[in-house]
Amino acid sequence: MIPVLVKREFTTRVKGTAYILTTVVGVLVFIGLSFLPPIMERLSSSIAPKHIELVVLDQGIESSHLPFLLQLSQEREDLTIRDASGLDERAAYAMVLDENLSGLLLIDGPLCTLVTPDSKNVVLNEEIENVVNQAATLWRATQLGLTQDEMQSLFHAVDFRIREVAPEQEDGREVDQVAQTQAMVLAYFLLFMIYMALILYGNMVASGVAEEKSSRIMEVMVSTVKPVELMFGKIIGVGALGLMQFFIWISTGLVMTFLGRTSFLGGLLGVAEPLRAVPLGGILWFGLYFLLGYFFYASIFAAAGALVSRVEEVSQVVSLLMMFIMVGFFGAYFSFLNPNSSFAVTTSLIPFTAPMVMFARIMLADPPLVQVAASVVIMLLAIAVGTWLSSKIYRIGILLYGKRPSLGQVARFLKG
Amino acid sequence: MSLVIADVTKRFRDVKAVDQLSFTVREGALFGFLGPNGAGKTTTMRVILGIIKSDEGTVTWKGKDFGRWGTGFYGYLPEERGLYPKMRVAEHLEFLGRIHGLDKQKARRETSRWLERFELGDLGSKRVEELSKGNQQKVQVIGTMLHDPELIILDEPFSGLDPVNSALLKDVLLEAHDRGKTVIFSSHRMDQVEEICQDIALINRGRLLLYGNLKQIKKSMGRQILRLSLEGNTDFWARIPGLHLLQERADYLEFRLDEGVDANRVLAEAMEAGQVIRFELVEPSLDQIFVEKVGEGA
Repeated sequence: MIPVLVKREFTTRVKGTAYILTTVVGVLVFIGLSFLPPIMERLSSSIAPKHIELVVLDQGIESSHLPFLLQLSQEREDLTIRDASGLDERAAYAMVLDENLSGLLLIDGPLCTLVTPDSKNVVLNEEIENVVNQAATLWRATQLGLTQDEMQSLFHAVDFRIREVAPEQEDGREVDQVAQTQAMVLAYFLLFMIYMALILYGNMVASGVAEEKSSRIMEVMVSTVKPVELMFGKIIGVGALGLMQFFIWISTGLVMTFLGRTSFLGGLLGVAEPLRAVPLGGILWFGLYFLLGYFFYASIFAAAGALVSRVEEVSQVVSLLMMFIMVGFFGAYFSFLNPNSSFAVTTSLIPFTAPMVMFARIMLADPPLVQVAASVVIMLLAIAVGTWLSSKIYRIGILLYGKRPSLGQVARFLKG
Repeated sequence: MSLVIADVTKRFRDVKAVDQLSFTVREGALFGFLGPNGAGKTTTMRVILGIIKSDEGTVTWKGKDFGRWGTGFYGYLPEERGLYPKMRVAEHLEFLGRIHGLDKQKARRETSRWLERFELGDLGSKRVEELSKGNQQKVQVIGTMLHDPELIILDEPFSGLDPVNSALLKDVLLEAHDRGKTVIFSSHRMDQVEEICQDIALINRGRLLLYGNLKQIKKSMGRQILRLSLEGNTDFWARIPGLHLLQERADYLEFRLDEGVDANRVLAEAMEAGQVIRFELVEPSLDQIFVEKVGEGA
């Protein structure tokens, strides 16, 4: 009986506007992501100041930054400094306005004031502050009598590397920090997809159940099929829709990656690095934890949907569930910072949060196999218990109309 | 071999919706299940079908526990009508056929046959929500009968149907009856029940008030209804003890006679009072039995 129910659920929804729309939007997002790096580049270059041209009025007596500013302007092509000594402030500012320059810099000892026609340009302001600070540092260094070489060695950055060594290993492997950042971006992206999917499809199940109640088809259905079959028909049908959507989206991503790598589009696309690095294993883990999380939450969502009489009430009862999912998401987000912290380990073993946190840990750090296996087993047990309890609530809830049952009544459903 | 409801009790909290209810529906019977609003008819039907569990009692079909026969042998039309509004009519009916155990081809064939039978042939590709209420109800009746079940249980099937469609449904039910199907339906339209049912059960407050063959029930109630029409003094009857006016119509007066009242004496008194145009002793209508029985229990 379940296949017939699944088929109905799938075929009626797959033709629905909502499903087609989200699928198309998702595809567009994936295509858009491939164009993201060049777009970002263009965007940041359009924001960043191309050329800074400052009029400087140095009123200081003992200190003079001006020579160092001039020195910097010789070293940097994007910086022009005009000495306005002799002019008064008003005339100097008139010059800025007339020639459309970046601003007027008033220096009075340690106090520097930027007079600008556009104080909102934060990026430009910051850049000018940097320049002034650099000049000030140079000035102080000269005061201290440092030579050019001494100065260079003072500001030289160390070569900082990270090597990860497991306790049982002799020497570790060097961590590629770029690759790690990429892994993190990818993991975050996939994590976000799990989070969205649990909420999206969970709600779809809950409102589907409420729809069956409000259209009063429920009684015909339960007189013919077992409530549990009805519940699973819906859960599997919606889950299949979700998987198909992911399949389409991820395929889009892979095709774009392929195009970016091979064809002439490559230069144009500059496919997002993290997508280029998608490991097959990651996608499989993604599939596994999406399914585990979905089956765990979907049955609870179904029970929640069975407690209301109208679709409009669904959002009230599912809000608690959404909170759990959100906690899981933030838990996973925090375990990004330290994937092996006790917080991350604990939440990766709690059914409500495990699908997201354990997935994040797998993507970022290699958690002990025992913990991964434990999380899968715990999830499977939780799914069994969760669907058993949910089906009890569901079975009674689907024929209840009118006032929503209280928590106490729901507890009684569980006993019955 | 029949449907046996034995000592069924169903409580909701402290209220007994069904109270020690027992009756039997013969196989092949057209059975009317009657009772005022809130009598427990729908609950009883749900218990029979196993949609809700009874607290006590059993329901058996052909000697075996009802729930152990699977679901394909019966069709149920709940009082609360409902269909998936977004599905197309034919698609929906095929789906209902499938979940009742028909294979794909059979479901399709039966769908088009029944749509024709109910004069909905051209609506198959329409969405359910586009149909009128009455047509939706017809679609749902089809969904109940599509898989040719042995046992058909209908909760208030006539409500919401116009006279033409009521007649159509009545024909379909009689047809099923002729083909040996067992049909149980609840109704508050006594005339319809009287017209097509042989057996009835009347319940109120979850208890059985009357049950059995309709003709025998009527006979056992006695010819105690008197229809009288006369020209002259119509107040004479007030002098006769045991005579109760039921209704005063333009064409005749209707009385109920208490047991032991001599009809001949009433006739004699009436002839004295004026010119008797009509004097008729009739069986009570089901409507009257219903009102009387339910009234007694109150």
